[in-house]
Amino acid sequence: MKQIRKNPLSVFSLGLHSAAIIAYQLLLMQLISAMQGYHFAYMVISIAMLGFGAGGTFVALLKEKLLKASGWLVPLLMSMTGFFMILSFYLARIPWLQLDIYLLFTDRSQLGMLAVSYILYFIPFFTGALAIGILFIKNADQIGRYYFSNLLGSGVGGLMIAIVLNHFFPLQCLPFIAFMPVVASVFTLSSKKRVLQWAGICMALTLTILSLIFPGSMPRSQYKGISGTLNLPGAEIVAHIPDVKGQIEVVSSSALRYAPALSFTFAGEVPVKKNIFINGDFYGVIPHFDTSAGNIHNYTTEALPYIMAQRDSVLVLNAAGGSAAAHALSGGARHVTGIISTRGVKNLLREGFTDGFKKAALHPHAHFVYQDSRQWLFTPELPRYDAIVLPRMESFGGSTGLNALQEDYALTLEAFQQMWDLLDDGGVISVTTWLDYPARTSLKIAASLAQTLRNNGVSDVDKHLAAIKSWGTLSFVLKKTPLTPEETENIRSFSARMLFDPVLLPDIVKEERSRYNLLEDESLFTYLDAIVSGRQPQLLSDYDFHILPANDNKPYFSRFLKPGTFKKLRDTFGTETMPFLELGYLIVWVTLLQSAILAFLLIILPLLRLSRKGGNKTPTLVYFAALGLGYMFAEIIFIQRFILYFGHPVYAISAAISTMMIASGIGSLYSERLPDALKASRMSTLIIALLLFIYMLVFTPILTTTIQLPLALKVITAFVLLAIPSFFMGIPFPAGIRILYRSQEDYIPWAWGINGCLSVIATSVATLIAVEGGFSAVMIMAVMCYLIAFAAFFRYSTAKGKK
Amino acid sequence: MPMYRQSFLLTLVFFLLTFSVAEAQNYQRQRAEMVESQIRGRGIRDPLVLEAMNSVPRHLYLPSAQQRFAYEDRPLPIGFGQTISQPYMVGFMTEVIRPQKEFRVLEIGTGSGYQAAILAEIVDHVYTIEIVDPLGERAKNLLNRHYDNVSVKLADGYYGWEEHGPFDAIVVTAAAEYIPPPLIRQLKDGGKMIIPVGSPFRVQQLMLIEKKGEEISSMALMPVRFVPFTSSD
Repeated sequence: MKQIRKNPLSVFSLGLHSAAIIAYQLLLMQLISAMQGYHFAYMVISIAMLGFGAGGTFVALLKEKLLKASGWLVPLLMSMTGFFMILSFYLARIPWLQLDIYLLFTDRSQLGMLAVSYILYFIPFFTGALAIGILFIKNADQIGRYYFSNLLGSGVGGLMIAIVLNHFFPLQCLPFIAFMPVVASVFTLSSKKRVLQWAGICMALTLTILSLIFPGSMPRSQYKGISGTLNLPGAEIVAHIPDVKGQIEVVSSSALRYAPALSFTFAGEVPVKKNIFINGDFYGVIPHFDTSAGNIHNYTTEALPYIMAQRDSVLVLNAAGGSAAAHALSGGARHVTGIISTRGVKNLLREGFTDGFKKAALHPHAHFVYQDSRQWLFTPELPRYDAIVLPRMESFGGSTGLNALQEDYALTLEAFQQMWDLLDDGGVISVTTWLDYPARTSLKIAASLAQTLRNNGVSDVDKHLAAIKSWGTLSFVLKKTPLTPEETENIRSFSARMLFDPVLLPDIVKEERSRYNLLEDESLFTYLDAIVSGRQPQLLSDYDFHILPANDNKPYFSRFLKPGTFKKLRDTFGTETMPFLELGYLIVWVTLLQSAILAFLLIILPLLRLSRKGGNKTPTLVYFAALGLGYMFAEIIFIQRFILYFGHPVYAISAAISTMMIASGIGSLYSERLPDALKASRMSTLIIALLLFIYMLVFTPILTTTIQLPLALKVITAFVLLAIPSFFMGIPFPAGIRILYRSQEDYIPWAWGINGCLSVIATSVATLIAVEGGFSAVMIMAVMCYLIAFAAFFRYSTAKGKK
Repeated sequence: MPMYRQSFLLTLVFFLLTFSVAEAQNYQRQRAEMVESQIRGRGIRDPLVLEAMNSVPRHLYLPSAQQRFAYEDRPLPIGFGQTISQPYMVGFMTEVIRPQKEFRVLEIGTGSGYQAAILAEIVDHVYTIEIVDPLGERAKNLLNRHYDNVSVKLADGYYGWEEHGPFDAIVVTAAAEYIPPPLIRQLKDGGKMIIPVGSPFRVQQLMLIEKKGEEISSMALMPVRFVPFTSSD
């Protein structure tokens, strides 16, 4: 093998190629989300990423032939990667190959389309991984610098696409991303083959230009929210904005009105409002800024905090388009602070997209802050408020679907505690939700508010909580001091005027809960009473859905499904409705299952072939599997923690991934200087386990202490905190490869494949562990993985006695 | 014409006739089974509703590609991101308004036209409004062919159909986050409205609204998914 010619430029090629693959992965996520939905995108990408495992298998099976042909094969594979990045996406859009994921449960032919989609998106990852695998084996003696290049490229690629997607649409980016591996391929060619080099560049340029001229369309499922909306009379897309979270589109139509759960007594005209969609899914509306007494929210249960008593200073978290702020002003508030956290929506409003918001921004009593709501709660020396208003649940931004497993730090017990600390003595926290059946959001809100009261030494919770319901919504109010008779009287008379029903009051009478708006199933009241009294904890823990409060360790407010309740949900709603329900939790399980089956095949297959060639399979399998899992577990924890720290998932992901990749890359490069690979692997795995254990104890306290620092200092803190373990985490993989290179060279591609497969599986596993056991449980798992890796090669040493 | 050609033609005509009769009989059998197992079997007892569902050929209200699934226990796509509701849901929504022969009923969201056809079998007159033009045109042609007591309008259902109100019952088959005030105004005293409410992009509640003088009350009946899919029971 060592006689094979090596091209020094291939290190650079590898970096460029790796950057393109990561960028393509993130790009594909957006493209598929926009056409079919985030659920499907997540499943497809997980399968596609197994292309890395398959690449390892392929190299393991045909190593000698591939190495012999590597001079032309690597550039060819890189070019094919770029080519298939475009072709696969093009083919997946051909009508007779096109899947409609929403029909999967009703139309069996869609299963075939699903398989076609898996294969199409798998190809570029497979060819890309194959090229990387061959380069790794070919340069196993210099694996440190090649792994460095791979990690650095991946880090830069991820960061690059996160920035680019804020300014360009995914379809515009695709040709440029596809161009990168083709360019990378040129650098892997020998300098003697200049004709081929130029031919390659010309071909890539042609491809890029053609893709730019003919980008094609993005056929969306007819069941995406935006598709139905565009069928309305005069419907048109009036704004289209790129955003890293997804393409933002604003649709205008004379038939789009907005007045959630309006009282039957409202006799006016329901206002027409534009709808906002992100990746084709409904996100919210652009509201009017109506500060008059005729504000439509005064005819909804959201008026609850304002009809109880006068509120002078109001804080509106996740203020979105400003309608809740306008509502506060219409209720007589003199100081209203609105926190707006969605970048794309912020831009819509800032650019004066709505006259209404201009009015809001110029209103003398309104003040808007562009920041994440939870972040803002950490601001030192905030004033006190008469009312803190949270947005209506399941409306702006949604909280179901795959979002069910999205962290929401604004709805944890710690967040409610911060809100409590900001309340004046007579102040209230107000939350509104749609009435859901089976009840879950409403119960979890009640549980969170009741627990907040108990955490602050309030024993008579029922005296501090009020709730009213209309035909569609349920609004809660938590009051710092007990409700006064005057306030309860105000609530009752408002409810009677609006045909609403009081649900929680200190002196509530059973009959008044169902006077105007009857529920077929009144178990909602039984559970609410159990939550308020705190006397039946078993009843709540036995409930079909998770309704216990979320906390910063498990910030999944919208996670309601329990593994055993899926069948019940299916029986209630019907199988065909499943794609629209809270599938996030289930999708992670399905993804884990399909990834695990394929990963098993990809690992077992070469194992059968390698079985003739000697021992040490188990230590190799365990070592590289543990590294794959451990690295991803740690990475996911760092990302989750940084979401709270930076207040923005995209910044958190970018900061964590790029820092880890770069620091690990440097660690990998440094590992080449360590002459004893076995010792390097043992020491590094042990140090990592120790560091992660220490981080388990100190990481969160450090972040909480420094969260109020200016952004630049926070970035430096995050970099230092992450770079230390990440540097060491870059050592075990190349050290392991070097050990194999000297003893079991045939195992190298297989080991790389194992590592890749387990990295994919780890993302689903980590999510499930985090949901069930919290972030600390995932961190313990990461520590365990590195200890297992340490032990695995300890056994290897005993068996072989080689270095 | 030579004899053999005549024979061939006759055979072909006979074959086609036999086939279409057999197909019609097959649909009729499927419809009877549907009523028995999906409608009566799930507790719909109103004889007017059962008779109507037995009479209306549901398959005619579907695009040809979907006709063979017409009597299955599920909603089916009819294009434009819309569906024909599951048979049980149509039966349930019809029964819950307690239709009488003298009723004038307003339907918001004609869709395929099937719900309007079921109502037209029972009540005096059905006024139905569809907002998606191509769907409304298709349904209008079908309904006009079979019924003279159905009026179809292509418009925004928000405003109802004031000149024909007030109505004994209003059936809304499109989800809404609000109940349009004009529809409440166009409901007779003692009238009933059935409507799926909640965010149109999520699971909704099927709601029965009753008007008694100045007092209006609601009753949440079951969770549903109206755009694009309806729930089972």
